[in-house]
Amino acid sequence: MTKLVHWVDTLLKWFLASLMAGIVVVVCWQVVSRYVLGAPSSITEELSRCLLIWIGMIGAAFAYRTGVHLGLDIVTRRLKVERQRHVQLVLTAAVVLFAFNVMVIGGGNLVWLTYELNQMSAALGIRMAYIYIAIPLSGMLIVFYGLSQLYFGIRQQPMQPVEGMH
Amino acid sequence: MELAIIVLLVVFFGLLLLNVPISFCIGLATLATMLLSIDFMPAVTTMAQRMAGGINSFALLAIPFFILSGLIMGRGGIARRLIECAMALIGMLPGGLALVNVVSCMFFGAISGSAVAATSAIGSFMLPEMKKQGYDVNYSAAVTASAATTGMLIPPSNILIVYAIASGGVSIAALFVAGYLPGILLGMALMLVCAGYAKLKGYPVGARLPLKLVVPKVAAALPSLFMIFLVIGGIISGVFTATEAGAIAVVYSLILAVGIYREVKPNELPAVLMKAAETTAIVMALIATSSAMSWILSYEQIPQVISAAMLTLSENPLLILLMINLILLLVGAFMDMTPAVLIFTPIFLPVAVELGMSPLHFGIMMVLNLSIGLVSPPVGSVLFVSCAIAKTRIEAIIRPLLPLYLAMFAVLMLVTYVPAISEFLPKLFGLY
Repeated sequence: MTKLVHWVDTLLKWFLASLMAGIVVVVCWQVVSRYVLGAPSSITEELSRCLLIWIGMIGAAFAYRTGVHLGLDIVTRRLKVERQRHVQLVLTAAVVLFAFNVMVIGGGNLVWLTYELNQMSAALGIRMAYIYIAIPLSGMLIVFYGLSQLYFGIRQQPMQPVEGMH
Repeated sequence: MELAIIVLLVVFFGLLLLNVPISFCIGLATLATMLLSIDFMPAVTTMAQRMAGGINSFALLAIPFFILSGLIMGRGGIARRLIECAMALIGMLPGGLALVNVVSCMFFGAISGSAVAATSAIGSFMLPEMKKQGYDVNYSAAVTASAATTGMLIPPSNILIVYAIASGGVSIAALFVAGYLPGILLGMALMLVCAGYAKLKGYPVGARLPLKLVVPKVAAALPSLFMIFLVIGGIISGVFTATEAGAIAVVYSLILAVGIYREVKPNELPAVLMKAAETTAIVMALIATSSAMSWILSYEQIPQVISAAMLTLSENPLLILLMINLILLLVGAFMDMTPAVLIFTPIFLPVAVELGMSPLHFGIMMVLNLSIGLVSPPVGSVLFVSCAIAKTRIEAIIRPLLPLYLAMFAVLMLVTYVPAISEFLPKLFGLY
């Protein structure tokens, strides 16, 4: 289990870093193509927006894993350790509930609908469904991380932090 | 409709108190409210679509760029050079280091878009330095936190980009230029408090450096300060959009940090990219879920009801603006800035416009107001970062923050009631 989590962590880390580098290159290319080449690229704007959706969605799952989403611990940190573990269970359940219902089911349905309707993106000419697939994918990752947190929580083992992110 | 508001608030605050991440609190509160009037499948599909739609924007793309360039500048020795430049220029005034802290934060705010980035970049240098010279740790942390908020107004500013989108059409260039005067005013008010406090406590005054030592310090910072002309000049003159300016800022900060100052090694870059993606995702998750919440609010016609109620409450525009400010201060204490802007702009902007306020002026007022929330407990991201660097507790820095809050509030009142502070520069540059 620890190995599987580590493997997913590493995959996500490098995937996100590549998307981030990609987005910088794409927008720089937009400026270069307009001023230096004199022929503004027609796809950079849409491509960078797609990349942003992917970074936002997949990154949200990763940020849940590293525990950096903003939260409020003024009440919970005053509780006894045993109580804190119960609260942690409720917290994880709430996050998984949202990720499963809205992101996996809702997002999945969105992907299916846009695929059925054959909705295409304006400039790139790819199916919108491929862009939206980031939503259910992120939802599944959050459910995966939530469940592995429960798994380690029940066994009272600490979940290893992500290497290189502190 | 009343039921919708109750469900929304109860679910949101209930989960918030359980330490559920704020973006998920917003998402679950929205889901619960939606299920009151919409079937399950259309509700979750609409939410997913609103979430993706909320971040599907080219203007928002400037945010990851300014986050990334902020990270590179923080690690690349740029923050240190800005501090040394400020030290050479104003270190000899009373409360020298506190003033240097404020000015460095303003410099850093002028080349990066986030207050959290400024806090960690400037704080990690200034806090140990201030401690060495006998400044109280809690006071230093309070100064760093409040000074970092000037960067929210001084462009580039991520939150002004979010407001431009939420307001549906105020130009980013105009907002950026409008932020300068209020941001500088805020910095000066904070410096006034710092100087007074230093006299009171008898904090050491730095030595006046001879000119031949000042010049190299300023010269070393010039390449970093050139970023201001590159980024803001480019946006104002229309050479590139705010998003493109962000990408240019990334490239320029890379050239500085890796090429010229040589403080970041190329093999450290993947880690910087990962960190930037992670921080971006936090903001995007907030924007995505807030967009969904904004949608259900307008579906339930809640903004209209609140606007109408506020306008019947009083005829006096001064009073209504004060009321809006007080509500926003409360909101800012409990909610992060990004969702607050996205959720409350559609509610209060129509009221403000009805009272004759321009959307530009309202945006600056709102961002300044919510900046105070960044440094107020219980939810204050800048406060958290500053305390973490100073290794102190939030409770301990509230007292030294009080006079600084007062200064911030005074500037907020000035900016609220004197439109020219926000509108003069954009008009001068023909942007508004």
